[in-house]
Amino acid sequence: MNNSEKNICSIIIGEDVKFENIPNGLDIDFQIQNNQIIGKINIIKSSEKFLINLSNTIEKKFNLELEITINENSFLELRDESDYKYGTDIIIKSIMSKNSIFEFFRLNNFKNNTKNTFNHNIELALNCEFRDFNFSNGSNEMDNNTTVSLNEENASYVGSGVMISNSTNSNNDLSIKHLSKSAKSDCSFKTVSRGSSNIKFSGKVFVDHGCSKTISNQISKGLVMDESAKISLIPKLEINNDDVICAHGAASGKPDESVIFYLKSRGIAHTDAEKIYVQGFLGEFLDKISNSEMQEKAMKYISTHC
Amino acid sequence: MLDIKNLNVSVEEKQILKNLSLNVGKGEVHAIMGPNGSGKSTIAHTLAGNPNYEIISGNVNFNEKDLLEMDPSERSLSGLFLAFQYPIELPGVTNASYLKQIVNVHRKHRGENLIEAGDFLKLLNDKSARLNIPMDMHSRFVNAGFSGGEKKKNEVLQLDLLNPKLVIMDETDSGLDVDALKSTSEAVNQLRSSDRSFIIITHYLRLLEYIEPDFVHVFQNGSIIESGDKSLANRIDKEGYA
Repeated sequence: MNNSEKNICSIIIGEDVKFENIPNGLDIDFQIQNNQIIGKINIIKSSEKFLINLSNTIEKKFNLELEITINENSFLELRDESDYKYGTDIIIKSIMSKNSIFEFFRLNNFKNNTKNTFNHNIELALNCEFRDFNFSNGSNEMDNNTTVSLNEENASYVGSGVMISNSTNSNNDLSIKHLSKSAKSDCSFKTVSRGSSNIKFSGKVFVDHGCSKTISNQISKGLVMDESAKISLIPKLEINNDDVICAHGAASGKPDESVIFYLKSRGIAHTDAEKIYVQGFLGEFLDKISNSEMQEKAMKYISTHC
Repeated sequence: MLDIKNLNVSVEEKQILKNLSLNVGKGEVHAIMGPNGSGKSTIAHTLAGNPNYEIISGNVNFNEKDLLEMDPSERSLSGLFLAFQYPIELPGVTNASYLKQIVNVHRKHRGENLIEAGDFLKLLNDKSARLNIPMDMHSRFVNAGFSGGEKKKNEVLQLDLLNPKLVIMDETDSGLDVDALKSTSEAVNQLRSSDRSFIIITHYLRLLEYIEPDFVHVFQNGSIIESGDKSLANRIDKEGYA
């Protein structure tokens, strides 16, 4: 889908919240008090396509509570490509009506010595698609919690998380609930852990009793770059129906020296070989991003920060 | 060009190469034949600088430089190329992007400008055509999901792109069907020149029927036990290594 097909607008969080080009069919309301921001994004018109760029210029730690509702047959692309300098506590609750699509891109730089938390709870109705892509680096403490409820038939979730850490303690919990039949989920998480980072990922897939024809894939991989860095990857499956296809995999370890040697044998210096290797490792699942502009941005993000 | 003297090498504390000596002159093609486990690949990886191979003693001189003192990347930039028996997969990196990077690393080392995208595409197209490599292979990740033949062709393509002075081909013929063996050999023959030398490691005569060697060495238990011309390869093909 081209951007020309979308209604494009911006939300800029600063001392006040500013809006640019808010189109008809989109109801946006933000209230700000001290460091507490409460916002609503409501797509009230059906069969419309919207792209919202969310950014911040705020010079202090802030908390954001955001409610997102997406009407039937509508499309929302939400992009957050902000730098977070002072720490954040973000809570999002999203409700998708039938046949809607929600693409959520977060390509964020978090300043070291900050603590950041992110919680997203999303409910999907009939034939909804939620595509969630999260790229982060920096921050000393980072908690990410996402709960995806596939409430009705043919709801689907595709998600990919990439975390590049230098001295981060991070807990990442993803919970996918298959609550109706013929729903699909496909999740990947990749992390590179450097310095004294301690990265944890827990991916839980729950399939309820009546949820036949469920398809679920989950893969998590980590690269441990330094002796004191740690990665813990925990896949969990609770399946209560026999007519399902569910797969999961988790692997972490040091860089494969045979790959580094192969690259060096072609004239590439050790540090560059390691960078190419890490870049490839993190970029393995970028083809899940069907939006070519954002796929390119994600590629650039990885090559800049890896 | 390459002078190996009394080279002893171990892997995981087991000695593999035993007092190996070999002299390869400019433009010469040397074939090393030997049974499984005789240490042929150890020569290849030792010369390329694989850190898993420990030098116990000996010297290797490459174009008046001490090869063993050089990092693997320096060896490559100095003109040594190893075509791997088992090329490594690199998921997440497209073959085109990888090939462009290695071409530019060598250009930068020679003090040349980095190659422009359009020029690289033309170069890649020309070189790929010589090996019957379809261009869509380059949009796939490096060696990931490639067939055995595609991997070997990709090695020869890299050899063609990097223009090395000394080429070590480690069982490049394994995994190639008859047609692929022929096109790969033709490409290698076109790359033969008076200032480029080859060490071809193989089990069988069939590769040497396409690429005519100047010297054939029989390798057993980590040492060269016999040397001769191509007739030695013919004899081994008839009589075996025993």
